[in-house]
Amino acid sequence: MKRAILLLSSILALVLLVPGAAAQEPGSDAAAQVTVTSLSLEPGIFFEGDTGIITIEITNNGFESVAIRRATMYDADISVLSSSYDTTTTVGAGNSMQFSFTVKADVLPGIYYPKFSLDFRDAGYLRYPVQLRVENDPLEISILDKPDTFGAGRKDRVDILVGNPRDNPVTGVVVHVSGEGIDATPSSYFIGNLNPDQAQRVSFNITPKQPSVLEFRVDYKNGVNSHATSVAVPIEFGVSKTEANPLLSNIVVDYQDGRYVLTGDIYNAGLEVANSVVLAAGGEAVPVDPYQSYVVGSLEPDDFSSFELTFTAENITEVPIVVSYRDVDGNPFEKTYTVSIPARTSGSTKEPGIALPIIGVIIASAAVIGGAIWYSWKKR
Amino acid sequence: MAGKIGELLLRPDAFFRRLVEEPENLKIPALIVIGGAIIYAVSAYLTSGLTFKIFGNVPEMASMAPILGIFGAVVAFFTFIILFWLIFSGAFYLISMAFSGSGEFKRTLQCSGYGLIPVIIGSLLSLLISLYYIPMIQVPVLTNIQDPAAIEAAIQQLMQDTAFSELRLITSIISIIFLIWSANLWIFGLKHARNLPLKQAAIAVFIPVVVYIIFILYMAVAGIPGMGGT
Repeated sequence: MKRAILLLSSILALVLLVPGAAAQEPGSDAAAQVTVTSLSLEPGIFFEGDTGIITIEITNNGFESVAIRRATMYDADISVLSSSYDTTTTVGAGNSMQFSFTVKADVLPGIYYPKFSLDFRDAGYLRYPVQLRVENDPLEISILDKPDTFGAGRKDRVDILVGNPRDNPVTGVVVHVSGEGIDATPSSYFIGNLNPDQAQRVSFNITPKQPSVLEFRVDYKNGVNSHATSVAVPIEFGVSKTEANPLLSNIVVDYQDGRYVLTGDIYNAGLEVANSVVLAAGGEAVPVDPYQSYVVGSLEPDDFSSFELTFTAENITEVPIVVSYRDVDGNPFEKTYTVSIPARTSGSTKEPGIALPIIGVIIASAAVIGGAIWYSWKKR
Repeated sequence: MAGKIGELLLRPDAFFRRLVEEPENLKIPALIVIGGAIIYAVSAYLTSGLTFKIFGNVPEMASMAPILGIFGAVVAFFTFIILFWLIFSGAFYLISMAFSGSGEFKRTLQCSGYGLIPVIIGSLLSLLISLYYIPMIQVPVLTNIQDPAAIEAAIQQLMQDTAFSELRLITSIISIIFLIWSANLWIFGLKHARNLPLKQAAIAVFIPVVVYIIFILYMAVAGIPGMGGT
């Protein structure tokens, strides 16, 4: 008999220790059938300071309705911005109900457990801790490819890679390009959604007008929260190590028929092809036909071409020869070489034909000499 | 002196007849030849200046141009003396030996020297015409001397210049005309210096003179300046 009493007491003690032990009260059996069946956080992982929504779905798995007096969420660290559900309601047998709470994670990165509490009218309550992670890892921007140096007005391509190192997707990802005196095409690029550990390569054509700083800024959303990350690329002008390098040599300048005729050779001493090579006389020189300018066309590395220019010039001893060309991307380049030209004399052009006075001198000389010879033989 | 020159130019037979009666003296012929050599040197300096203008913008050549101009003038100076006096006199002397001419070489030198006065007058006239023409010559300019083809092309352009071509033609004509006058004097000079009949003296003179005229014409056509009297 003592053994039976001891067993009964133990069972009773166990029943008393069960959480939500409302079984002692009326309706506690029905409340025990209410469970949390779904939980969602938006965003899945918060940034420090992010605002988000926690949605909890409960389901009454029993055969009786359960009256709910209050549903709330609370935590010592996480701020709950929305109010509690204080209106008494009933969850029918087999029915579900959702509760949403707006929270703000003004906390340091870490893992937090705000608690969802559901108070039953006729029984005890249901406690359910929700795991909420706070991480501050932003999107990563990597410069994949860029030229060694930039040039004024020269278009160069810069490739970047935008990656998501977070464990939750981000949305609305847009890459913006900016910088003083920088013309970028496209000006921005919409990536959209970036899932965890996913990356997107983006290319931009950059045409700087001056030395500056090129900034790539990536705007994105983590839930309803806007975030941005950026990377800066200094734009410094210089000479590319491989660019085309046209050089002039074998220059001969002649003055013919009232104009200067300049002939020479143009070499490409660079490592890249020079396209659309055009030569023209600049400065105070006035180009004239037939070779106001000379189109060489394409010059491969180590290739050369002869050229000819015709121009007029007054009171100058040097003429700038402007060589304009383009690289494979169509970026315009221009180089100027100074060439000395012979000073024009006062006589300028000499019309063909010996001057009459000189012809007269020759004829007179011949006549005098003929006469002298004739006389010398006659008057010996 | 003017009377003597007038007699030399108009009555060379009488001039040289009287000259050979006097003792041989090369003083005056030498002065005449040196005067002609100086004119020849000045002409050569002016003409060589054109060539050096081509290289005026070549740094390696810029400092050398005046030196080379003076060098050309010196060469021209001695060329005149050697060619017009010594070589012509030597040729006259050697050819006249075939006609059994007599008389010292010194006497031939003396007569040849006097006979160069028309050539010197012609050189002076050529020099004056050169001073008129040279400023009108357009000289191509080279910026480097690394390419022989470019140098050749520049010199070719200079040779084809209208003013330069005319100058070469005029100086060649003047040289030939005055050389013929000198040849006339040399005939009478050689006749008396080597005691030759007039016909044989004429043959002895005309052989080297004709050869030189052919040379002048060839140079005028080929386009090498400085040998036609300027």
